[in-house]
Amino acid sequence: MIEFRSVTVIYDNDIVGLENVSFNIEEGEFVFLVGKTGAGKSSAIKLLTGELKPYAGDVIVNGITVNTLKNRKLPYLRRSVGVVFQDFRLLPNKTVYENVAFAMEVVRAKKKDIRRKVPTILSLVGLSDRAKNYPNELSGGEQQRVCIARALVNSPAIVIADEPTGNLDVETADEIMKLLMDINKMGTTIVMVTHSEKIVNDAHKRVIQLESGVVVRDEKEGGYNLDVLA
Amino acid sequence: MYSLKTALSSLGRNAVMTIASIVTIACCLFLFGVFLLFAFNINYIGEQVSSQCELQAYIDENASPADEERILSEINSIDNVKSVEFESKEQAFENYKTQLGAEYSEYFRDMNGSDILRSSVKITPDDLSRVNEIEQNALLVRGVAKVVNREDIIRKVISATDLIKFGSLIAMLILLITAVFIIQNTIKLSVHAREDEIHIMKFVGATDSFIRRPFMLEGIIVGIIGASIAIIVISFGYTAVVGNVAGFLDIFRLYSFGQLALPVAGGLMLFGIIMGSFGSRTAVRRHLKV
Ligand SMILES: Nc1ncnc2c1ncn2[C@@H]1O[C@H](COP(=O)(O)OP(=O)(O)O)[C@@H](O)[C@H]1O
Ligand SMILES: [Mg+2]
Repeated sequence: MIEFRSVTVIYDNDIVGLENVSFNIEEGEFVFLVGKTGAGKSSAIKLLTGELKPYAGDVIVNGITVNTLKNRKLPYLRRSVGVVFQDFRLLPNKTVYENVAFAMEVVRAKKKDIRRKVPTILSLVGLSDRAKNYPNELSGGEQQRVCIARALVNSPAIVIADEPTGNLDVETADEIMKLLMDINKMGTTIVMVTHSEKIVNDAHKRVIQLESGVVVRDEKEGGYNLDVLA
Repeated sequence: MYSLKTALSSLGRNAVMTIASIVTIACCLFLFGVFLLFAFNINYIGEQVSSQCELQAYIDENASPADEERILSEINSIDNVKSVEFESKEQAFENYKTQLGAEYSEYFRDMNGSDILRSSVKITPDDLSRVNEIEQNALLVRGVAKVVNREDIIRKVISATDLIKFGSLIAMLILLITAVFIIQNTIKLSVHAREDEIHIMKFVGATDSFIRRPFMLEGIIVGIIGASIAIIVISFGYTAVVGNVAGFLDIFRLYSFGQLALPVAGGLMLFGIIMGSFGSRTAVRRHLKV
């Protein structure tokens, strides 16, 4: 589903973001990306959406080699990769329903499909009764649920989340984790960046650890501890 | 539908800039329209002039009718001559009198045309650019005293109008750049107001052309309104000006606005739309690079 082949990222100022990174993520997997700040986690995530181009190596998502993809084709890749942001990025002048429907409207989904799909997704993330509310009327956890609903509504094969619980308290973060695990059980591949030791340790999922742009640990059902290398 | 709704609400939000854009576009297109009308009429006058552009070969006073006959046929056989027409002294005198009008007829009552005017041959050329050649050859015909060529005057008229055309073209170009610049900035305001939306659209996989569409539409609406204003002003202005000028431009006919409405209005509309969409396209470009 996702394959990194000797990927190296170098930024304009000659800073190395990733160095010769290779890994393979199968369909339906749940993978944590961990590591200290500046380790290269966000760089890895940005490669998946084509937001960032590697200096060397190949990034293959859903059978598509992202780094050689024409800009014109990029939107179609992005429809198969849902993105959950740490800061939610909801549109403040749209209701919950409209925020989610917006993601379908702008990829020209049929009105009929929008009316059918949005309520289904809102009930999946537990926000059916908040559909008519505006983002500023919601708690942080609820806002993140809207963001997840928006990422899911176009039925992506993969969901990527860069510190989705970073702005949430522990309890709310647990709820969001439970939601993501449920979504994963339904077959969606999930790649999630997190700094939360508790979340990683509770989940018993695969952990890929980066340090200074290099993969230093890739463990099935791993824990968070950044100092214990496999 | 999404595009149109978004475009209209953006235009309303930046009312001042929108009006500024519309006004500059209208001014620019107004000038363009004036230029077009000018160019069309110059060509029209040019056609009228060149249909009158003949050479006139005057014949020696003491030529006999037989000489005249010979001269006519010799000129007719000159290369590039389309047709010739003989004008006798008497005819020339009659023409002269009618040209001057009834008020002067008193002066001519006792005169006889044959005493003051010469017979001549009017020559219509095939190819206007080779008029001088005909002039040379006609002078070689025995019995031809003088050849008058009206081409010089036409040349002068045309070069003067070229200068005016050039001047208005420069003014138009400057206004065109200003107009595109102002549209661009108007659209940039809308782009700025919707930056978050654009960002989300990019991430959920909206195509660039879809994202661009409302902004393009915004620019095009501004272009269309500006062009419409210019067209209305021009149609009334032109009709008024032609009405006034027609009096002393008697010799030439000018087009009525109706005759030019289609190419002029179409041209302005097209330019308005091109300027509007070009301005907005460049305004969004930077924001599509995510
Ligand atoms: N846009 C950028 N320009 C230059 N350097 C960058 C940029 N983004 C990230 N970096 C650098 O690349 C390295 C990896 O960054 P990042 O992938 O954001 O790490 P993480 O998400 O693990 O904190 C860091 O040294 C960071 O300073
Ligand atoms: Mg990061």
